[in-house]
Order: sequence, then C-alpha cells, then structure tokens
Amino acid sequence: MNKTLASIVTNWVPSGSKVIDFGCGDGALLKMLAEQKSIIGYGVENDPAKINECISNGVSVIQQDIDTGIQDYRDMGFDLAIMASSIQCLRRPRNAMKNILQVANECVITLPNFGNWELRAGLLKGKMPSSSQLPAKWYETKNLHLCTIADFEELCSVEGFNIKKKIYLNNKGNATWLVSTFPNLFAAEAVYLIGS
Amino acid sequence: MKVVSEKISFARSLSLESGQSLAQFELMTETYGELNQDKTNAVLVCHAFSGNHHAAGTKDDGSKPGWWDQIIGDGKAIDTEKYFVVSLNNIGGCHGSSGPTSVSSDSEHAFGASFPEVSVSDWVETQKILADHLGIDCWEMVAGGSLGGMQALQWAISYPTKIKKAAIIAASPKISSQNIALNEVAREMIRKDENFHNGNYLLKEVSPKKGLKAARMLGHITYLSEANMSKRFGRKLQDPDSKMGADVNYEVENYLQYKGEQFAQSFDANSYILMTKAMDSFDPAKSFDQDLIKCFESIQAKLLVVSFNSDWLFPKEYGLDIQMSAITAGIESTYVELEGEYGHDSFLFHTENYAMALQNFLESNE
Repeated sequence: MNKTLASIVTNWVPSGSKVIDFGCGDGALLKMLAEQKSIIGYGVENDPAKINECISNGVSVIQQDIDTGIQDYRDMGFDLAIMASSIQCLRRPRNAMKNILQVANECVITLPNFGNWELRAGLLKGKMPSSSQLPAKWYETKNLHLCTIADFEELCSVEGFNIKKKIYLNNKGNATWLVSTFPNLFAAEAVYLIGS
Repeated sequence: MKVVSEKISFARSLSLESGQSLAQFELMTETYGELNQDKTNAVLVCHAFSGNHHAAGTKDDGSKPGWWDQIIGDGKAIDTEKYFVVSLNNIGGCHGSSGPTSVSSDSEHAFGASFPEVSVSDWVETQKILADHLGIDCWEMVAGGSLGGMQALQWAISYPTKIKKAAIIAASPKISSQNIALNEVAREMIRKDENFHNGNYLLKEVSPKKGLKAARMLGHITYLSEANMSKRFGRKLQDPDSKMGADVNYEVENYLQYKGEQFAQSFDANSYILMTKAMDSFDPAKSFDQDLIKCFESIQAKLLVVSFNSDWLFPKEYGLDIQMSAITAGIESTYVELEGEYGHDSFLFHTENYAMALQNFLESNE
C-alpha cells in the first residue's frame, strides 16, 4: 500500500476503534493504525508467508479464505472493516460487500481502476494491459472481477451502499485536479469510505 | 543446551479445585537454557495427557529425546540460546511429581486410587508456585499442545499479568461429548482389568497392564490421522519374525500392540484416569455462565491459536472457537491453520510453517 493511500485510511479510522482488515498482507497497515490511532486490529489472510510476517510484526491475524469467511465476523463489535485492493480478487464481490457491511457499520474499500486511460490504451493494442496497480500477466493474476470506477459506483448505487467519502489517485498516488475531475479516465486507484 | 533436572519439594499444603488438598507436594522439573538476570526470558511448556517433564534434549542414559525436542533447543523455534524453558510433570502424573504412585504423607503406602482428583486449574496453580520458587514474575510465553494448550489458555485466564504470550496448540476451550466418550471407553478398559482392584493394585503388587495397554491402543488411533496411518502402514502384513502375537496379521496391529505394551510398562493406570478426567472437566467458561467471551475479557496476554487440518480428535473448530471468542472480547489473538500430517499428534512435530509461527510469535514485540 502506498503512503498516500495509507495516510487517507489513517485519517478516516477513528482513534481506539476495532478494525478488521480483509486481505491484510503483511499487516503493515494494521501495525501503523495501532501505532498512530491506537486501534485494536485484526487481519484476515490466507498466505502462510504473509501470516508469518504479521506474527513477526505483532499483528493479530486469522488464517482464512476471505471468499468464505467474512460473515464469520458479524456481531463481534467491529467499528470499521478494510478491504484494500482485494475486492476484485473475490469470487462474489457483491456478496462480499453486503457481508462486510454486516461486520462493521463502515468499510474502507480501495480498488484499481480498470478504466484508467493507460489500461484502455493497452487494450486498444489488442492485449491485456498491465500497470503498476495491475502488474501480473493475465494467466497469473489473482484478479477475477476487475472493474472501472464507473462500474463500482454503479454497483454501490444499485445496492444502496452509501459512499460517504471518496478519493481518486493517479499512478503516483496523488489526488490531482485532473484525476478528481475525470476519475474514470485518469485515476489509477480509488479509495472509498462506505456505510450501510 | 544446558539441561537441569530437579525434583522440587514444596512443604506446604495445596488446595485443589475439588475441595480436597495435598499436605505437601513434589514437582519433577526439567529446565533448558539459562534464566537471564532480569528473569524476563522464561518460557513454560505444559505437557499433554501422557507427557512428562522431559520435553527436550536426550538424557545421558540414552533414553528418548523429549516430547517437544523438535521445537525446543539451541537455534530451534523455542531457542534455548535466548530463552529459559521450564517443563514439569504435572501432579497426578507418574513421572516423578506427586501422583497416585507417590507415597502419601499420612501412611507408608502409595496414594493409589486415593490420590485426589486434579484439574487444569490445579496444574496452573502448581506451575505458579513453581514460577515463584524460580523467581519468575512473568512468563514470556506459556505454550502447550492438546491438554498442554488448555493449561496455556488457563494461565492467560487465571493470571492476566503473569504471562505475556500463550501458544494454544491443537487445544479446545472444552472437549466434546465424543471426546469424553472416547476417554470413558479407555477408562472402562482399565477398570475392567482383573488386576485393577478399584485402583488399589499397588497394595496387591499387581498392575492392570492389559487394560492400560488396550486403552492406549484406542487412544493412539485417535491421535493419528487416517491418511497418516494409510501412508505408514497401508494394508501391509506384518513380517512373521517380528510379530507381537500369533493373532497379529497387519503391520498396523503390530504397531499398536507394540506401542500399547510400551506405554503399559511406563504409565500408571490411576494417572491415566486422573489425567483424562482433568481433560473432560476443563471448561473455563463454566464460571462465566458458559460465556467464553466474558471468560476471556480479563486476558492481557497475546494468544497464538494453532489448529491442524488432519486433527479429527480436536478439530479446527475448537481452535476457531477460542479465536473468535478472543476477537469478540477484543483480545490480541492470532489463528493459524496448518495441514499437519500426523492428526492430533501434529503438534509434536516440526514443520517449517509451524516452527516459524511459534518462533515469530515468541520473538515478536509490541
């Protein structure tokens, strides 16, 4: 996770809150939130190497497949759920969104924007495009459900997921005028705070 | 690795959870490595039901390496170059600590069947007394598998400020009706041995070895996974020259006969009953209206909960029960699920991910 993204998430997380990070990787974000916002944090991760990094980092982690496990965390008193760059890797992203909003009142979702002009240009060449957000080849990628910002916001509107805050970033992690004005074309990544 | 074996006598009475008490008691201990000057590098390891104080290293007499030798030692997951590891035989056992085979203070005979009922909490109390004796104010970690994991969990509940980390491996916050049933079949085999004499076999100078052997054979099956047994024995026939008995056909039969026989030579039948009863009765939530979350609220230690997929005796749902209750209670707790080749016994064996999880947990700081 880049620094801008991390600082946005840090700003949005209430101090002392109870946070769950689905697809927490090495636990760096949770560790930072524990240090800066005194949160009680838990990560969910399925990669044994990353789990061991979490343990080394002193981050509480649960080894589980987030495709099946999200609903297990209902009624546990979470204030906020985070799903950073993971939603597009799930088999049923719409169900996952619904489940996340039953785990916590609010969730932070970040996703790579497949509508970004560089990716569109890549596709025009007739091949699956890649970028710094989407570096993997088509046959190696974990992404199952890539979408554009327009697609994602349409889903939120149809399903009644309330977007409380959003920030669009270019591929350098900056929220410039151009990116904020024409996000679907110029943003590389979008960050949302979503309520039920 | 520096190894010290010591039998420590405590000339004080010990009140037990059952309401009974011991006028005095002894603990057979083994320690590995050295306690640092601040006494902040101490790790307690708790044995499972048939384990004992000999957790690591090989004794000079050429006997077997300790039960957790793959995990404890110089440069191993619980690194004895950094940590001072304490292991003991629990009371009620039969390897040197006060138990049914030790002589009662008010008679010249062994306790036998009259040794009082013991519980996981009682063991934690004696371990606390041992910590005080060694001058250890706070354990860096308490760890154990199976019944040992239950002790680690009880430590976190009973002494929130005296333990920093608890590694709870292949354990459960309470065992199931099926687990109790299996234990009862094993106990029944012992009781029905003609040499049992209501537990007073020592006075008659006999031993219910047949019952004990059969009980262990049943138990042993439950500690292994089906896949592991198939891989190890399959349907291979036993070589006729090394048969344990004329009736033996398959290798797996011979193996169980051999293991059962060995166990019956070294274990005490009354201890078997006491240890399994302690496992059956473990249920820390019972004093909290069966609410495990409430029970966990006082915990200050960090938890590491480990389950093994091949363990059908204490399946992963038991570990998840601990983990999910810990999360709801807001306790720092990590849950790791490993394949584990050996079923319930997987906690005894080194694998890379298992050792790394334990080591990273032990060595992690705030």
